[in-house]
Amino acid sequence: MSAPVLELRRITKSYPGVVALDAVNFTVYENEIVGLVGENGAGKSTLMKILIGLIQPDDGSYSLRGEPVALRDPENAARLGVGMVFQEGSLVPNLSIMENLFLCHEIGFQRFGFLSKRAMREAAYSALAPVKVGSDLNIPIADTTPAVRQMVEIARLLWLSKLYNHKNPILILDEPTTVLTENERETLFLILEEIKSQASIVLISHRLQEIVQNSDRIVILKDGKNVTELRAERASISDIENLMVGHSFEADRYREDEQVEPGRETVLKVQKLSRRGAFQPIDFSVRRGEIVSLVGLVGSGKEEVCRCIAGLDKPDSGSITLDGKKLPSGSPSETVHSGIGNIPIDRRSEGLALGMTVAENVNLLVLDRLKVAGFISPAREKSNAVRWMEECRIKSPSSSTICANLSGGNQQKTVIAKWLSSQIKFLVLDHPTRGVDVGAKEEIYRLIRKLADDGIGMIIMCDTLEEDIGLCSRMLIMRDGRLVGEVTCPPYKKPSPSEIIGLIV
Amino acid sequence: MGVKRIGPARSQETTAIRRKRARIPAIYFSVTLLVVLVCLFTAGNRNFLSAYNLNTIASYAAILLVVGLGQMNTILIGGIDLSVGGLMSFISVVFIVSLKAIGVWAFPLCIVAALVAGYLNGIILTRIKIPSFIATLGTGGILTSLALLVSPLPVDVPASTYGLLEIVNGTTLGISNLLLLTLVTFALYYVILRFTSVGRNIYYIGSNIKMSWMSGIDIIGTRNFAFVLSGLGAGIAAIMQSCSQYGGDPTLGKVYILQSIAAVVVGGTALTGGTGGAINTVIGALILAVMENGMNVVGVDAYFQQSILGFVIIISVALTFDRGKTATIK
Repeated sequence: MSAPVLELRRITKSYPGVVALDAVNFTVYENEIVGLVGENGAGKSTLMKILIGLIQPDDGSYSLRGEPVALRDPENAARLGVGMVFQEGSLVPNLSIMENLFLCHEIGFQRFGFLSKRAMREAAYSALAPVKVGSDLNIPIADTTPAVRQMVEIARLLWLSKLYNHKNPILILDEPTTVLTENERETLFLILEEIKSQASIVLISHRLQEIVQNSDRIVILKDGKNVTELRAERASISDIENLMVGHSFEADRYREDEQVEPGRETVLKVQKLSRRGAFQPIDFSVRRGEIVSLVGLVGSGKEEVCRCIAGLDKPDSGSITLDGKKLPSGSPSETVHSGIGNIPIDRRSEGLALGMTVAENVNLLVLDRLKVAGFISPAREKSNAVRWMEECRIKSPSSSTICANLSGGNQQKTVIAKWLSSQIKFLVLDHPTRGVDVGAKEEIYRLIRKLADDGIGMIIMCDTLEEDIGLCSRMLIMRDGRLVGEVTCPPYKKPSPSEIIGLIV
Repeated sequence: MGVKRIGPARSQETTAIRRKRARIPAIYFSVTLLVVLVCLFTAGNRNFLSAYNLNTIASYAAILLVVGLGQMNTILIGGIDLSVGGLMSFISVVFIVSLKAIGVWAFPLCIVAALVAGYLNGIILTRIKIPSFIATLGTGGILTSLALLVSPLPVDVPASTYGLLEIVNGTTLGISNLLLLTLVTFALYYVILRFTSVGRNIYYIGSNIKMSWMSGIDIIGTRNFAFVLSGLGAGIAAIMQSCSQYGGDPTLGKVYILQSIAAVVVGGTALTGGTGGAINTVIGALILAVMENGMNVVGVDAYFQQSILGFVIIISVALTFDRGKTATIK
């Protein structure tokens, strides 16, 4: 058994109302590839951010090569040999491969204050050799493929640890294969197998097949806690799935007894909708009062479909019809006025005017209804706001409280109240309970049931598969830009998450 | 291995308190500042509070307030209007010149011209998509040139038209028309911002433009309207100034570019937009007028006055700037 290079013990991190990590242990040994799996919200990203020094834990210990460390920031972590390749990439697009490789550490190449390009080029060739990048070193990063960019980032981390004389650096790869083609994926894993002799790799991926095939050891997180870890040779995908999502599933958590039978009429119809680079032509419809869940991995195209329905993006082909009327595309203004609302994923930057009061936010869509003789009536504003605050159980000192002072759950309820009070016919919900405490989650489920009861059709994307299954009456599964399956979820006869996961990945 | 606390131990409480302090309405700061200034200047010279001096302050504040009320709209929506100076100069000379030609019709003509200029500023931002800072810098330069083309030198009002100027210079029921016009303008802007949808939308867009767009608010129309309101303010202010001075001046507006912005932000409207309003601008205009007048009455060195003014502006903006809204402060 090789020695542990990195040890996190009893790491705890909380945010208001949410415990992201609860006494989690995580160890990385020398020369291994360890796969980290867990659902959205299990705590993987929080744990990794702590690993590279981006955030600090509330409690717990962190030791690197036997010595306790307190990382100041990711730069500090990189110098100590711990680095991460993010999903979105962190290279400077207009600089060349070579310049990105040595960014901020060019001092070794300086002769009399000038950079020696020749020295840099030589060093670049040897740094890029292990990752097998053969591109011209001078082309700007923006002009390279995602695969090359990833390799450059890996090469940079390896080079940095050599520069600071650290044996066995730790490379964290966050969903490295979502942007790669089949061939590129194979190349990546071949390279990782070679790099293993001089480094350790933490692999984060939803693609369990890849994790099982390419890791030595697999660590599973759920709800901010360790579930278990297993040797990859002895692991089966279905075992991992079961451990990831668990069997605990309270039937009335999602208020299934309130799940209504959808109406007969179709309220939203999507026909041959497609968007280049995001999703292929897709058809489906939603009935009055029906809650349809759209599930799939990041990159499956589900977010982009929802954006098109909400009018935020223009599809390349196809149509969206609401109550029989075709909607103009790419104009949120027209879409909203026709009666489609959207609960955005990020309530702070997309859902609310945080500097304004609860009343002002709740009344945003219905100002015309609150006018007397053409002017907004403060009395009507207040009474409308108070009414919806009660309806949605928004806990706030008054309707004139500034939204920034509300908790996340109450902020989210304010966003929902805004749309509830206007006369929408259809609602797109993007992770409606993200970052919301348990109590508020329940109240939001109640509101969603009420919306369905009022005949409003909904398409929803949730944080966990459990939530998707629990809330919806029908589930659409997307993969790689295509609609690949449809599953009904009648109350009390819900499919289990493990049944669905197989279709997603 | 024992459990060890690592990392900065900043608890949730201190962040909550920090957030609360920042949420005291900015108007409390600006009113306090005004009161403090008045007390200081009165202590320096008792004549500061004389009827004559207060009148001087009021007249100065009136013009500044009107152009400031216009500027307020563009700042509230998250932009800025640097063309108010050029527009004031332009309207000033056009007004006097057209008084000679078309008499009392000069008033509506200049108002319409100001509205059109504001609308053009809006179009350059919303259709050609040039940031308002640059767009209005450009249009301001054009208007300054046009003003000089219309009349390179200050132009006097012919005595025959003195009567028409009574619209501004006269009194109604004992109150000076200048003050009445200022009051009417204030009421207009206050009502628009507080009681109309388009006024409310200015706040929504200034507070969070992405959310406003996603919620279906008409971004283009509201932005155009904000710039029209700014042009209107500059136009009315120019007319008022030209009447009181019995003449037009092609360089009238130069000082008002920065002064109008100062009046808005010193009063407590955030430069980043989304908070503030007409009352804040009144306090801001009063503070600037009191400072301008007070420093003279008390005998502060003329060269020192600029630094003091600059200092006051920095303090006010520091207290009201929403650092949460700008990722990097440029």
